[in-house]
Amino acid sequence: MKKINFKLFSVTSIFALLLITSACATEDLEPTLSQDKSVEGAITKVDNLYGILKGALNRATSSGYWGREMIALNEVRSDNAFSNGNSGRYTTQGEFNYNENSGGIWDNCYGVIALANVIIQQDAASLEGDAALASHYQGAAHFLRALAHFDLVRTYGQQHSGGTLGVPIVTTFKGDDLFPSRSSVSEVKAAIMSDLATAYTMMDTQYDDKEFISKFAAPALASRVAIYFGEYQLAEQNAALVINSGIYSIIPGADFVGSFATKENVNSIFELAYSQTDNLGGNSLGYIYKFAPGGTGYGDVQPMAAVEALYETGDARAGILGYQGDKLTNMGKYPDINGWDNVPVIRYEEIVLNYAEALFRNGNTANATTQLNSLQTARGASTTPATLDNIMLERRKELMFEGFRWDDLMRTGSDIIYHGTLENVLGTLSYPNNKFAYPVPAAELNANSNVTQNDGY
Amino acid sequence: MKKLLLLTSAFMLIAFSGWSQKTVTGTVLDDGGLPLPGATVIEKGTSNGVSTDFDGNFSIEVAEDATLEISFIGYTTAEISASADDFNITLAAGNELEEVVITGYTSQLRSEVTGAVTQLDSEALTQLTVPTVDQALQGQVAGLTITTNSGTPGSTSQIRIRGISSITAGNEPLLVIDGAPVINGNVSNSTSSSFMSALSAIDANNIASISVLKDAASTAQYGARGANGVILITTKTGSSGETKFNISSYYGVQNDAIYGPKMLTANQKFELYSEALYNDNTDTFSSISDAGDYILANVSRYRNWEADGRPEANWADVITNQDAPIQEYNFSASGGDDNSTFYASLGYMKQEATVIGSSFDRISGQLNITRKLNDKLTFSSNSSVGVTEQEGILEQSAYFEGPRTAKFFGDPLLRVLNEDGTPNQYGGGVPNPLYITRENINDIKFTRIVTNNSLTYDIMDGLTFGTRLNVDYVIRDRKYYTNTIYGYSVPNGGELSDSHANNVTYVIQNYLDYNWELNDSHSLDFKILQEYQTNRFNGLSASGESFPDAGLFYLDNAGAPVSVGSNYSDWHVGAYLASVHYVGFDGKYVGDLTYRREGNSRFGPDNRWGDFYSIGAAWNLHKEDFLADSDIFDNLKLRASYGKSGNANISLNQYQALLAYDADYAGQGAVYTSTFGNSDLSWETNYSFDVAVDFGMLDGKIAGSLGYYQRDSEDLLLNVPLSLTTGFSSQTRNIGSVRNNGVELEINFNVISSEDFNFSIGGNLATTENEVTTLAKDPNGDTINIQTSRTIIDEGQPIRAWYLPTWAGVNPQTGAEEWYVNGVDGATTTVFNEAEQVLQGGSALPTLTAGLNIHLDYKGFYLDANGFYAGGHKVYEGWHRYLNESAVGFSVGPYQGYETLLTDAWRQPGDVTRNGKLTAGTVPWQRHSKFLYDGDWARLRTLTFGFDFDQSTLAGTGLDGLRLYVRGNNLLTWKKDDNQKWDPEVDLGGETGLETPPTQSFIVGLNLKF
Repeated sequence: MKKINFKLFSVTSIFALLLITSACATEDLEPTLSQDKSVEGAITKVDNLYGILKGALNRATSSGYWGREMIALNEVRSDNAFSNGNSGRYTTQGEFNYNENSGGIWDNCYGVIALANVIIQQDAASLEGDAALASHYQGAAHFLRALAHFDLVRTYGQQHSGGTLGVPIVTTFKGDDLFPSRSSVSEVKAAIMSDLATAYTMMDTQYDDKEFISKFAAPALASRVAIYFGEYQLAEQNAALVINSGIYSIIPGADFVGSFATKENVNSIFELAYSQTDNLGGNSLGYIYKFAPGGTGYGDVQPMAAVEALYETGDARAGILGYQGDKLTNMGKYPDINGWDNVPVIRYEEIVLNYAEALFRNGNTANATTQLNSLQTARGASTTPATLDNIMLERRKELMFEGFRWDDLMRTGSDIIYHGTLENVLGTLSYPNNKFAYPVPAAELNANSNVTQNDGY
Repeated sequence: MKKLLLLTSAFMLIAFSGWSQKTVTGTVLDDGGLPLPGATVIEKGTSNGVSTDFDGNFSIEVAEDATLEISFIGYTTAEISASADDFNITLAAGNELEEVVITGYTSQLRSEVTGAVTQLDSEALTQLTVPTVDQALQGQVAGLTITTNSGTPGSTSQIRIRGISSITAGNEPLLVIDGAPVINGNVSNSTSSSFMSALSAIDANNIASISVLKDAASTAQYGARGANGVILITTKTGSSGETKFNISSYYGVQNDAIYGPKMLTANQKFELYSEALYNDNTDTFSSISDAGDYILANVSRYRNWEADGRPEANWADVITNQDAPIQEYNFSASGGDDNSTFYASLGYMKQEATVIGSSFDRISGQLNITRKLNDKLTFSSNSSVGVTEQEGILEQSAYFEGPRTAKFFGDPLLRVLNEDGTPNQYGGGVPNPLYITRENINDIKFTRIVTNNSLTYDIMDGLTFGTRLNVDYVIRDRKYYTNTIYGYSVPNGGELSDSHANNVTYVIQNYLDYNWELNDSHSLDFKILQEYQTNRFNGLSASGESFPDAGLFYLDNAGAPVSVGSNYSDWHVGAYLASVHYVGFDGKYVGDLTYRREGNSRFGPDNRWGDFYSIGAAWNLHKEDFLADSDIFDNLKLRASYGKSGNANISLNQYQALLAYDADYAGQGAVYTSTFGNSDLSWETNYSFDVAVDFGMLDGKIAGSLGYYQRDSEDLLLNVPLSLTTGFSSQTRNIGSVRNNGVELEINFNVISSEDFNFSIGGNLATTENEVTTLAKDPNGDTINIQTSRTIIDEGQPIRAWYLPTWAGVNPQTGAEEWYVNGVDGATTTVFNEAEQVLQGGSALPTLTAGLNIHLDYKGFYLDANGFYAGGHKVYEGWHRYLNESAVGFSVGPYQGYETLLTDAWRQPGDVTRNGKLTAGTVPWQRHSKFLYDGDWARLRTLTFGFDFDQSTLAGTGLDGLRLYVRGNNLLTWKKDDNQKWDPEVDLGGETGLETPPTQSFIVGLNLKF
C-alpha cells in the first residue's frame, strides 16, 4: 500500500507540474498582432490622422474608383469613346447592358467616406501635435467625403432618370444607423456643399500638396458640383476664388501633352499619386486605353473616329491622339501603360471653363469670352465667342478622355447614341432614361433593405 | 565468472523491476495452423507490447501475474495468463467487430466502439497513383465526399464529411497524424497558380491506416475542431523479429480522363464568322460565302490567316503532354527485438502532369522507432521528412499565360511554329504557350518535417502516464518569373517574385490513463488529457522587374525592386479532456462519456473557452443469450451517440476591430480600417445525433453497417453582409444555423471464400440533405440572404442553392434564345434582364454518393476494382460567355468556340437546336439555366490485376514475397448530362473551370519483400 501511495503521489505531482508548466489560461491564448493594430488606442497623434488620410487616398486610387472605373465608365458611355471588347471589358457599360451584378464605384466610394469619417470624428484637441495641421487634415477629410458623395450621386442618383432619389449620406464611422436609406438628390447636394465649405475654412495653404488635398481644391470641386447641378451663382463664386488665389495657371500648349507624364504641374490642383512601385499595372487607365507592345493587353476603350476631326491644325491637344496599328488610340492622357503616372482629378483648366460657363449663364458674356479665349490661345486653337455650344465644345476638347463628357451630356439633357464593339450604332436612348442612373449593387440591396434599387433594374 | 555475471544480471534485473518479471515466449497461429506474423501481443492494461515475427514467434517481458492479449485484424482476440504453461496460441477467425480500430486518442475493439468510425488499411490507400493520400479516400467511406481542385500533381482536395455545416467558416475536417493535429490545406501563396497540398509531402506508403471519425462520440475528443469530422493517420510501426525489407515501385503513363469540349478548327471558325456576319447583314451580303470574302479582305485577323496560307493551330495538341510518365520507388525496412522496434523508409516519386510545364517530385523518408527504456518507460518517435517540388501552371482562372487557357481560348488561325521550328511569337490576348511554359518559372519548393515523440510511463497496474511532443515544420519557397522576351511582362523587362515562408506547429499533450477492472465482466477506462497547440507563421517576399537579359532568375539581377513584404501571425489552442469508457457484462454493453474544454485564440478574451461533450452507447446484441447461438447473426451491434462539437475555422483576428498598415500612397505608408470587429465572437457549435446498427451475418459472409445521422450547426461563424455604406463588406458574427442529415450504409459480401478462390463485393452509400435553417436579419426583419449571380444562401434551401433565370430554349420559328419571364413557365422574353432569377433546385453538393469495391483472387492472381458515383447535384459551365454563345463575337474574334456552335445552330424555321441564330456580336455575362447541368457522374476509379508469387515458388530466391501488377485509374467515366463537356469532378464552387482534369493512368508495378 505504501508503495502505491508513493507512486500515486509522485505521479500526480509530476502530472500537476507538467500541467502547470504547459497548461494554458486565457492569457496564454492571446494572438500576436504584428502587422495590424487595434483601433482603440491607435490614434493618439496628429501624425496618425495623416496615416489614415493616406489610407483614404489609397482607396481612391483603386482601379474600381479613380484608378480606372470612374473615368472609363463615363468615357465609354459618352460620344468620346466606345469599347472594342478586346479583353471583354466595358462592353457591358458601353452598350448600356448593366444590372445589379455589374460592379461600379459604390463600395470604393463608401470605403473612402468611412476613413474620412474616422478622421473627422477625432477630437483634434486631444491629439498631440500641431493643431493647425490637425485642422488641415480634418479639412482634407471633409473634402474627400464631399468628393466621394459627389461621385456617388452623379453615378447612382436619379436626377437624369426622372426620379429624385440620391444616395445615402454617411457622416459617422460605425455610427448608430448601419442601414441608412437613400437621401434625395438635393439633400446630397446640400451635404456636399456644406462639407466643401467646412473644408475650405479648415485647410491652410501652408500645408498644400498637389498629391494631397490643398486649400483651394475645395472651392475648385465646389465649382464643379455647382456647374453639374446648375447652380451658376455658386459656380461663379467658387471658380473665382480659385482663379484669384493666383496659385495655379493654365499650362502652356507646348507642355500640354508632356504634362500628363510629369507630376505636380502648374495646372494641377489635385492629382492621385502612382509610381513605378505603386501602380495598378494591368488594371490601370493606361492599360485599358492602349495595347501593350506586341499587341497584347486590353486596350478596350477606344476613341470614336469622329473625335479626330474636332481638333483644328495647330491645336496642341491633338497630340493626345495617335494610332496603334490601324486603331485610333488615346496616347497622351495616362500615357504609361502600367499606370505609373499620376491621375489628375482636378485641373485648373476645368475651373477656367467652369468660370467661363458660369459667367455666360449669369449673363456676363464679355468676361466669359475672355476666359474662354485665354484657354484657346494657350492651346493654339482659334478664338471663338462664348456661346453655350462653344463652351461645351471647348470642354470636350480640353477634357477629352478624363471622364467629364458624360456629365456634360447629362446636364444638358442630351439623347445618347450607343455603340457596339465595331463602333457600329446599336441604338439611341432618349433623355431622361432609367439607364442614365447606374444600378445599385446587389450586395447593398441584399444587406440593407432600406436602400431601394433604381427603376428598371 | 559467468555465474557471477549471471547472478549480478539477475539481481539487476530484479532490482530494476518493481515486481517480479518473466519472459514469455510463444507462437501465434491462425485458424489454419499456420504461423501468423505481425500479430500483436500486449500485456493487458499497459502499453507494453510486441509483434510476432515472420514465423509467428514472440518474446515479451511481462509481470508474473499479467494477462497477455493477442490480437490480429480479422481474428478474435485471445487472452492468456502469463503463468500459463503453453504459449502456442491459435487465433480463431474472427468477425469484423473484433478488428482493432483507432479512434481518437485510443484504439479499441470494433465491438466497443460507440461512434461512427471507418478505417482503411494500407492496401486501400495505395490504390490511387497520386501524390496526396487524401484522394484515396474517395468512394471508400460512406458520407465522405472529396473533390480535387485540379489534376495537377500535388494539388489540394476539398473533403466534406456528412455535408456542409458552415457557410463562411471552413468546412475541412481536422487532420491528425499519430495523435497530434497538424496543418493541412494549400501552402502556395498564390491564388492564380496551381495549389499545393501540405499533405503532398507525406508518402502514402508510410501509412498503416486511416480512420475517419464522423459523429460526435468519436470526434468529441477533438471537440472544438471536430465538427467537420476528423481524419486520423497512423504511420507504420515495426514489429519485433528479423528485419524485413520491402521494395515497391511502379511506372506508368497518364492522360486526361476527359478531353473536354471540342473546339473549332481554323476553317470552322471562318465558317462560323461568315455565317454570323451574313445573318447580321443580309442586305449587304448576298450569301454566306460573300460575307466570307468580305472577312478575308477586311478583317485583319483573317486577312493575315489567308495570306499565311491558312495555317491551323491545334492548341490542344500543343499543350498536352501525351502519356505523361509517373513513377514511384519506395524502400522500407522494419524490424526490432524485444525492447525496440523500428520502421524506416525512403521513397521517391516523380510525376509529370498531362499539360506541358507542370510536374511534381518528392523525396520522402520516415523513421519510426519505439524503444522500451525500461519495463516501465516506453519511448517512441515517429519522424517523417518530405521534400517536394511542384512546377505549377496558372490555372485557377482564365489567365492568358496559362497553358490550359490556350487549349480553350487560343486562336486556331495562328501558326504555332515558325519555319525554323521555334515557337511563333505572335501578339494578341493569349500568347504562345509553348514559349511561355518553356521560359517562365512557376515553382514551389516545399519541405515538411513532422516529428512525433512520446514517452509513456506505467506507474502501476492499469495506470499509465504519457506525454507527447509533436513538431510540424513546414518551409515553402515560391518563385514566379515571367520572361523578358515574350509575354505580358515584356514592357516591364521581365518580372520575378520570390517568397519564403515557414510555419511551425507545436503540440504538447500530457495524459493519464487508468484502466479499472471492476471484475471479470466489467471494466472502466478513464482518461484525462491536457493539450496545448501553437502555430507560428513567418513570411517574407520580394519582387522586382527590369532584367538586363533573359535567363536571370534571381532578384540580384532585377534592375527595379518593386515590392517587399514580411509578416507574422500566430494562433493557439489549449484544451482539457476527460473521458470514461465503460464495457460491461462481458462486452454486451458499452458506454462512452467525453468532456472537453477548449480555448482558441481566434476569439475575444471573454469568449475564448467552450465546453464540448458527447455521450455514446452500444449494445452488442450478439452477446446476449437470445442471439448467442444464432446461425444468422455473427455479430449485431446497436449504437447511438449524441454530442456537441465546435468549429473555429475562420481567419485570424476577426474579433478585433483593426487598422491595417500595409497600404501605401505617394511612397509613404498608409493606414486603413480592415476588420469591423466583434468582441462577442465565439465558437460555431454542432449538435450531432447518430444511430446505427453494425452487423455481421452468415458466418462472415455479410458484414456492414446502416445508420442515420443528424447534424445541427448553430451560431454559425457567418460573414454577415453589411451595408457597403459602412465602408466594410461584412462582419463576422455568430448567427444562423444549418442542418445536415442523411443515411449511411456500408456493406460487404464475401460471396465465395475458399482456399483457392475468393470473391467479395462491398460498397457504401450515403445520402446528404443540407438545409439552411436560419440566417441573420436586418433591422426591418428581412432575411439577409447572400446572393450572387448564380447562387443564393437562403432559409429553407441548401447552402449556395442554384439561383438563375430559366432558359426557355431556342424559339424554333425565330431562332432567338428565350427566357421565362417568371422563371418557371408561361410568357417568354428575348431580353435577358427581364427574366427573373429563381431557384433551380439543388446545389453543388451531391445528395447521394456511393462507392463499390470488387475483389477476386484465384491461386495468387487477383483482381480489384473500385468505382465511385456522386449524384443529385448540379454544376455550372464556367466561361461560356467567351466560348459557347450564339452571339459568337468572342469565338470568332480573339478567342475560340465550341464546335457545337457550328453544328447545332438554328438556321431555318422549324429547327430545334441548342444554339440560336448565329450573330457576330457579343453578350455581357448572362448566367442562366442553359448552362446548368445535372452533375451526376460515376467513375471506375481503380482496376488492378496482379499476381502474388507463392512461398513455394520463391523458396530459394531469398524473397519472402513478390507481387506483379498492372493498374488503371479513372478508366471509365460516365456523365448523366451529355451537354456538359467538361470533367464531371467539379469542386464545391460548382463551376467547371480550366484546371487540369483528373488523370487516367496505366501503371505497372512490382513489390518485393525479403
